[in-house]
Amino acid sequence: MSGILAAGSTGLSGLTLALIASLALGVASGLLGTFVVLRRESLFGDMLSHAVFPGVVAGFFLSGWLAREGWVENAKNPLVILFCALVAGVLGAVVVTVLGRTTRLKQDARLGIVLSVFFAGGIALFGFGQPAGVQGFLYGQTAAIDATDLRLMLGAAAIVGVAVLLFRRPLLVVSFDEGYAHNLGYPVTWLTLMFSVLLTMSVVVAMQAVGVVLVSAMLITPAATAHLMTDRFPRMMALSVLFTILASVGGTLLSGSVSDFAAGPVIALCATALFVAAYVFAPRYGLAARFWHDRGQRQRIQRENVLKDIYRVLEREGFPAEGATVGTFEAERRLDREGAERELKMLEDAGALIRRNGGERLVLSEEGWRQAARVVRNHRLWELYLTNEAAYQADHVHDDAEIVEHLLGEEAIQRLEAELGFPKTDPHGSPIPQPSAPPIHTTS
Amino acid sequence: MDLLAATDIIIPTKLLVWFGLACFFTALGCSQVGTFLVMRKMSLVGDAISHSVLPGIVLAFLVVGTLDSPWLLIGAGLSGVLATLLIELIHYRSRIKQDAAIGISFTSLFAIGVLLIGIYAKSVDLDPDCVIFGQVEYLQGYPRVEWWGVEFPRPLVSFAVVGVSATVVVAVLYRILLVSSFDPSLAASYGYFPAVVQLVLMGLTSFVVVSAFQAVGAILVIALLILPGATAYLCANRLPMILLLAGVHALLSSVGGVWLALSLGINTGAAVVLAGGGLFTLAWLFGPVDGVVLRVWLRRPGRDCS
Amino acid sequence: MDVKDMTEGELPRAAAETDCCEPQQGRTAAGRSSHRVALETHDLTVTYRKRPVLYGIDVAIPEGNLIGIVGPNGAGKSTLIKAVMGVVRSTGGWVKVFGKPVKESLKRIGYVPQRESIDWEFPVTVMDVALMGTYGKLGPFRWVGEEQRRRAREALERVGMLPYAKRQIGNLSGGQQQRVFLARALAQDSDLYLMDEPFAGVDAATESAIVELLKDLRSQGKTVIVVHHDLQSAREYFDMLLLLNMRLVAFGPTAEVFTTELLQKTYGGRLTILSEMAEKAAREGTGKLHPKNEP
Repeated sequence: MSGILAAGSTGLSGLTLALIASLALGVASGLLGTFVVLRRESLFGDMLSHAVFPGVVAGFFLSGWLAREGWVENAKNPLVILFCALVAGVLGAVVVTVLGRTTRLKQDARLGIVLSVFFAGGIALFGFGQPAGVQGFLYGQTAAIDATDLRLMLGAAAIVGVAVLLFRRPLLVVSFDEGYAHNLGYPVTWLTLMFSVLLTMSVVVAMQAVGVVLVSAMLITPAATAHLMTDRFPRMMALSVLFTILASVGGTLLSGSVSDFAAGPVIALCATALFVAAYVFAPRYGLAARFWHDRGQRQRIQRENVLKDIYRVLEREGFPAEGATVGTFEAERRLDREGAERELKMLEDAGALIRRNGGERLVLSEEGWRQAARVVRNHRLWELYLTNEAAYQADHVHDDAEIVEHLLGEEAIQRLEAELGFPKTDPHGSPIPQPSAPPIHTTS
Repeated sequence: MDLLAATDIIIPTKLLVWFGLACFFTALGCSQVGTFLVMRKMSLVGDAISHSVLPGIVLAFLVVGTLDSPWLLIGAGLSGVLATLLIELIHYRSRIKQDAAIGISFTSLFAIGVLLIGIYAKSVDLDPDCVIFGQVEYLQGYPRVEWWGVEFPRPLVSFAVVGVSATVVVAVLYRILLVSSFDPSLAASYGYFPAVVQLVLMGLTSFVVVSAFQAVGAILVIALLILPGATAYLCANRLPMILLLAGVHALLSSVGGVWLALSLGINTGAAVVLAGGGLFTLAWLFGPVDGVVLRVWLRRPGRDCS
Repeated sequence: MDVKDMTEGELPRAAAETDCCEPQQGRTAAGRSSHRVALETHDLTVTYRKRPVLYGIDVAIPEGNLIGIVGPNGAGKSTLIKAVMGVVRSTGGWVKVFGKPVKESLKRIGYVPQRESIDWEFPVTVMDVALMGTYGKLGPFRWVGEEQRRRAREALERVGMLPYAKRQIGNLSGGQQQRVFLARALAQDSDLYLMDEPFAGVDAATESAIVELLKDLRSQGKTVIVVHHDLQSAREYFDMLLLLNMRLVAFGPTAEVFTTELLQKTYGGRLTILSEMAEKAAREGTGKLHPKNEP
């Protein structure tokens, strides 16, 4: 396999060819990969990539024969090859369906059988003449793509791109909910057939870039990466295309500097690297994002718990105007002085706490009072609900309420109150505070 | 005197026996383990494992320098376990579904394996084509051992060990595998914990895949795993018979395939798989349980279209 | 009657006071008294993928009774059984069977799963399935002997499926399939039976046959707990009812528990806020809605 700068007959440098090929790859397999991932048909894509191989080999033989007979110019005619590949791919899909209708074998076994038997056929066929260029489909060859290959890739990619753009809504509906598609009057069988044909085409394109086995890396990995980054389908398609192109370009450039070996594996690993990056850093679904979210939430919960305990202390002492002592607070939270100070500072920084008398006395600010009253109210309403409606054991109620009180929104609270008939006290007899009322201070 | 060489007729009998035995032992082990993969609808996982063990095998090969070493098994096993862990990691903790997780996992591992081969191929005697095409033919190059006056290449012994021991293990664990494949809840109630059984099955798969790799190449391993079981499933109604028929399939496809390969000059691995596919087609047409021809002939009701 | 009132020691009194169940003393197997508890759970909580499905289930089920678990769809009825069996992992609470942790009592439990979860095209015959019932006591490696075959045959006979012994299980009707799995449970010869919707999709004749069988088991002193989908028949078939909707709404003798108020609570959606909050807790990542309690 020659190095990265094999020149094509068009006069473009090998690098440019490789880049254009990446573009084609991105469009074709990036777009369809989105559907494959959402339809959970990764194995189906894998089957197609193996099933088209005998078609590719046959296409080479046919094309070579046609060239010798003078019917076509090029011994490696892209149209002939694509056509034979399509026939093989569709044949594979048909066999899978027929096996499904006539035997008890499950889908996974059917796909595996067609995948391997067809591929074996391809290898056997290959042995009879070893037409040059087939290797490119086995291992991928972005580095050594010539003009003919490029024509094939661009052509297939163009067809796929246009078709997906035109039919994206019907394809989406059919992929997501076939029943509804029938309902809307879509020709489901034709659409599914079209999808299979388009998928076969993208598989052919991807094969040329990364080889038979790694087609799945191009079809699935970038689309899965996109899936982690967004909830919206058009964006997912666009991102999938982008990531495929990035992986392909990156892989080609990298592999040129590492070794002469085909770029396929490097491209696949670039795609995986992008996936790993998204897995960790994706805005909402990535590990880092979820960690920060959880941490933020834990902090909020801790803050609210502290407020709640201060409220309880104040309540026990009859809401004295001069506030609670730090000592009682320490006892309530079961902390030492250092721990207590940390928590109090947290509240002070949040503007919920005012410290008087040289720091010895704790008084809630307006804001602090509102927040504390809200949390306590949630907690007590919830306890009431659990005891009355859900037949909770007395010793369980407190733990659950501890967690849920932080999650109840205004709407849920109003519903709870209504369900319970606007109660004034909780199961233990403590009053249920109204956050809208001003802070209570009794004069001492 | 070499008995086999003396009996060469149309094709070299020696090669037929060697390659045939190599493929048979490999296929035997795969057929027994693979039947349970089919029963559990885990063909995809089997395919993934067969690709995922490549980096482990390559690394082990780079260290020990020969394919005839137990280290390859260990490398494969570790690689297979890594693949399973990756799949769980991706799929369980994010919104990526299992099929995509499997795809991401095995393609990455396979890519690493191919890359390793590509980088080190020149410094070590490892042909990247072996990965795709298998290399039963290379058996000829290995040192020989002698048994009962007949010569065998040494790797044949390890093939035999793997194939036979896999079969024995499946036989011993038959009840556990049967119940946990058929009814995981009942199995759990008997103490056959599904997670453990799954892990054992994955381990067994990695174990038999190593030989299969060398016989038919990475891509066709899945054929050795599921064709025998699938074919037998079309012919029998009870699991013990299916396992037996799968073994028969392994024998026939190995012998038939090797014979085809030697007479027509095609790749051995491909020939074995094609022979297996031929048997499958026969079973599809004439199988006593599901055979199409039989059904039409007797006008038996077919299964529901689904 | 509420769970809070049903602590150990109080149950037998409650059971004996009502008409619906025949007095258990003297009718059970030799030596066994009905004051014993077959199944007990405390604070049992199950989450699936961080979503709570069951929580805080406290119940003590006395031996020798025929008990029905009823509740709306998605209430966690199957999950309760699976959690008891250990098929599904619980995130909180504990379960005891005959006073011991479940793992030690596994051999005394017979589990009949939902029919949907079975692959009917699996290559096993009716006899094979019945024989599977004997595997528990046999262990994974000992040969199947005449004793096991006899038990399997007897079980099949009892459900009327012996003529079909050699048939592959896919070639059976719904009622026949259910009977095969009952035969398997019978072959297990357990003391506690847990059955998940045994009457679903079954014809009337099979249904009465199954009910007779269950009553038979009960009169042998066995405990049978059944997840059931139909309220009206639940009233007729079972001695005691367990009303479930993610939480335990009520448990007790059928006549006492089958009241409008309790049924409304179970089916009437008063607990929706609860499940919403539970889902929200799961989504927001606070995960467990329940701390783990050890006995």
